[in-house]
Amino acid sequence: MTNKMIIGVYDDEGMLMSSIRQIQEKGFTINDVYSPYPIHEVFEALKIKTRLPLAAFLYSTFGMLATFAFLYWTSVVNYPLVFGGKPQNTLSFVVILFVMIINIGCLFTIITFFVREKKYPGVKPEILHPGVTDDKYLIVIQKDEKLSKNDLESINTLLKNNGAIEITEK
Amino acid sequence: MEKKYSFSKSFKIVCIALMAIGVISIAIGFISSPEKAWADLLLNNYYFLSLAIGASFFMALQYITQSGWSAAFKRISESFIPYIPVAAIIMFVLLFGTKSLYHWTHHEIIATDPILAHKEPYLNLPFFIIRMIFYFAVWIVLTQLLLKYSKKEDLEGGMTYFKKSEFVSKVYIFSLALTFSLASFDWIMSLEPHWYSTIFSLKNFIAAFFHGAAIITLIIIILHSYGYFPFITNAHWADLSKYIFILSIVWGYFWFAEYLLIWYANIPEETIYFVKRLAFPWKILFYGNIAINWLVPFVVLLSNYFARRKSILAFVIVFLIIGQWIDLYLQIMPGAVGKFKIGITDIGTFLGFTGLFIYLIASSLSKRDLTPKNHPYLEESLHHSMH
Repeated sequence: MTNKMIIGVYDDEGMLMSSIRQIQEKGFTINDVYSPYPIHEVFEALKIKTRLPLAAFLYSTFGMLATFAFLYWTSVVNYPLVFGGKPQNTLSFVVILFVMIINIGCLFTIITFFVREKKYPGVKPEILHPGVTDDKYLIVIQKDEKLSKNDLESINTLLKNNGAIEITEK
Repeated sequence: MEKKYSFSKSFKIVCIALMAIGVISIAIGFISSPEKAWADLLLNNYYFLSLAIGASFFMALQYITQSGWSAAFKRISESFIPYIPVAAIIMFVLLFGTKSLYHWTHHEIIATDPILAHKEPYLNLPFFIIRMIFYFAVWIVLTQLLLKYSKKEDLEGGMTYFKKSEFVSKVYIFSLALTFSLASFDWIMSLEPHWYSTIFSLKNFIAAFFHGAAIITLIIIILHSYGYFPFITNAHWADLSKYIFILSIVWGYFWFAEYLLIWYANIPEETIYFVKRLAFPWKILFYGNIAINWLVPFVVLLSNYFARRKSILAFVIVFLIIGQWIDLYLQIMPGAVGKFKIGITDIGTFLGFTGLFIYLIASSLSKRDLTPKNHPYLEESLHHSMH
């Protein structure tokens, strides 16, 4: 038993969605779905929980505080310089804060994402199907001991009947 | 789906009672301080006109982007349109108050004021009236055309009326860019004719769109809680709240762009506008304005969980109703009256206009089915989901 998962390959979003629903109705769990672009329906159907938005919010808050501390330290504490009659702790901070919140928030979120997904420079990518880097949609179902032969067969027919252009195992 | 909204008698009485309160407080206002009363009339009329313009812009936007999800809510934005002719009438009544509202209508002031003399080719009463007629003509003709096509679509179906509406929407959006900008310059900015800011019109337009979209959402929430629109899912709430969220950011952006540039350039004839508003009593409203119109919707609707709860959405919108009033109060009162005084007449006038506005909306909603018939995107809207 070398193959661990069943992979159904689709080339249409509608077929993918109806297939996901039917497989779930039969009580099988879908472990992963690959698509060329994010599909919100998939998130809802698979009940995927992500804490990435919360992380992004926290990073942005941190970015705001850190940038403000930096601006305050440089232009008020360490090197107070009056120019144009403006107060030192000023409104024009807002523009820099705005940009830096986005910058720090995005950078740290992306880094977190890559760390969580275990993608570092030099990691050999695990490509389930060559179409995944192109325009194909993948449904991945893990084979575990609970699934009997009958179950596997019915998963196969479900995938096939819903218009999978290819079914492979890996 | 065939449910029709019925305008109940008791609700009608409530609206008429509100209007009566309004009439009484306007009358009291004219007896006690006519200057304030004219300004109140302008404020409230502009307030509800901006909601109507914002809502009709929202509708036009749905047409030109061919949005599917919002097709079922078309009636709500259509129901704002009947206010535009009413606003035109009140605006023409306001012409009798121009001497009290606008300094540039006094010839003796222009004679001694070189800046106003320089602006006279634009800021003079005959041209002001001509422009006003032009704005209202454009708005009324185009919105009534949209209404007409929508009625015909209900009867006949097919794509022809959708395509026609789409074309009219394009014309409407482009003409709004010109007319509403100039209208906000004419009616609001010329209250302080020495001061000018080019982003002023943009800010006012976004405020109109922002609060128009918010009120549309509020009406949908209210109707939904009475059992109408049974098909609404989380996806509809998410899309509606996205509008409010994104527009609050745009509003905050324009507000800050205006303020920062004037603050930074520090030219006395520009800063005087904000100096007045940062003096003590106005200061509360000044900061309240930013907090209510930007901070509250931004912070509350930031989380997806909150953005899809209709009770929380309604809570934010109630804030926004006050927010638009404060925004306009800050723009109008310091120039038109000069003294800070929020009295019973202000609130009474606002309630009166609210009654009138609700009456018009409810009567227009009760005339036809709540969900449009034969709209090409209707099915998509009814089965809208996240994707």
